[in-house]
Amino acid sequence: MITTSGLTKSFDLEGGSILALAPLDHRIEKGSFVSIVGPSGCGKSTFLRLIAGLEDASGGTVKLDTGSAKRPVGFVFQDAVLLPWKTVRDNIRFPLDTAGVRRDEGNRIVGELIDLVGLTGFEDALPKQLSGGMRQRAAIARALSDDPPILLMDEPFSAVDLLTRETLNDELLRIWQRTGKTILLVTHSVEEAAYLGSEVMVMSPRPGRLKKTYTVDLPHPRGEATKLDPAYHQLVAELRQDMRETE
Amino acid sequence: MMLARFRPVFEYGLALLLLTIAWWYASGPMGIPKYLLPSPQSTVSTLWDSLVSGQLWPHLWFTLRNIFLGLAIGGVAGVAGAYLLYKMPRLSTYLDGPLVVFQTAPKIALAPLFVVWFGLGLTAKIVLIVSLVFFPVLMGALAGFRSIDSRMHDLAKLLKLSPLSLFWRIDLMAALPGIFVGLKIGAVQALVGAILAEWISGSDGLGYLMTFASATYKTSLLFGAVLLTSLLGIALHGLLGAIESRLLSWKVQDGR
Repeated sequence: MITTSGLTKSFDLEGGSILALAPLDHRIEKGSFVSIVGPSGCGKSTFLRLIAGLEDASGGTVKLDTGSAKRPVGFVFQDAVLLPWKTVRDNIRFPLDTAGVRRDEGNRIVGELIDLVGLTGFEDALPKQLSGGMRQRAAIARALSDDPPILLMDEPFSAVDLLTRETLNDELLRIWQRTGKTILLVTHSVEEAAYLGSEVMVMSPRPGRLKKTYTVDLPHPRGEATKLDPAYHQLVAELRQDMRETE
Repeated sequence: MMLARFRPVFEYGLALLLLTIAWWYASGPMGIPKYLLPSPQSTVSTLWDSLVSGQLWPHLWFTLRNIFLGLAIGGVAGVAGAYLLYKMPRLSTYLDGPLVVFQTAPKIALAPLFVVWFGLGLTAKIVLIVSLVFFPVLMGALAGFRSIDSRMHDLAKLLKLSPLSLFWRIDLMAALPGIFVGLKIGAVQALVGAILAEWISGSDGLGYLMTFASATYKTSLLFGAVLLTSLLGIALHGLLGAIESRLLSWKVQDGR
């Protein structure tokens, strides 16, 4: 589905260049939910931006096996990055409008997405009138609106409070199971990574590289019971240990 | 709430009232001669007469049209120039110096030169107004474009927007607050430029009316024209403010 071979990125700074991502070979299966954890500067965001095509690779390749999709990836940023002059509805519809989707078809899709992310009743609100969590819901709906096979999320919930974050995590799992999309989620939280992922990539800094990959066998659907599962605690402890070693 | 809404109206009204009373006092009880300071009553009645007789309308229309024409051309050129500089950072490093020189050069002092270059007709007038509108809009728009959140461009890249689509759908909208700062300064300048251009040449417009009135000692007509010009300035400011608050209703302080 997503195959990277020798994918590397260095940034030119004054007086030299910095290796942000050491050559990375990895394969992500279609329909998997991959959490990516690691301390600051480990290249996890760079990895995501390379897959999205937001950065040009310094070497190596990314192959997205997504057929003819014109826009293969949806992207959710750390902040919602909604267009402040558009309502929630028009923000979610933006990718459809710019792709020339018919008005009534667009309305139908947007209506479904608003239900899916739980923004019913806020369709005509402006971004400034929403809480951080709601803005992020709108951003997720926008990323899903033109139905990309891959959803990339760069620390999407780091700016919302803990309770909202847990709710959004559960909703994200529900959306993943319903849509069958391939999701890559970058996070600082090892708990979040273990709870959500079917696979966890641990990255380490200086230079940014892939340190380890875990396959997560925790049963689905996940919920409060998962958080009591000894296997979950075992995984969280191992991830935390890995993170500590990378510091 | 209601009180807060009407407060500016009340304050402006009070200031105008005080000014009018002082004017009336100076022209009446204080006994300043009529040819130096006509009374408010005679000024208003002269203005009213020329409005009713239809004598004033062509002049008012001429000035207004020039202002709007100059604002439109200068505004579009200013935004276009700013976008060019924004999109080509290298160009802007070369042009920053010359731009500051042009911006600070007193365009009003160049007005006679514009007449030499572009003749006594409409062109010289429009060129003067455009030159006055262009720079504030350019600077405002440039500040607007430069403050665009770079992640909006990430979004545009993900959606594979065409350059035209990017301009209309994201960049122009995001820079609108800056553009309006420039336009509001430009509108005041446009009014000044329009009146000044009419002083210099031609036989149309409120500016011409002023020179005509002062040359023929029709002081009350002169005062009427000045009064009308001030009202025009206030109306222009109000109009732009109304358009701005409509277009920028999404940008009020609460939250981000």
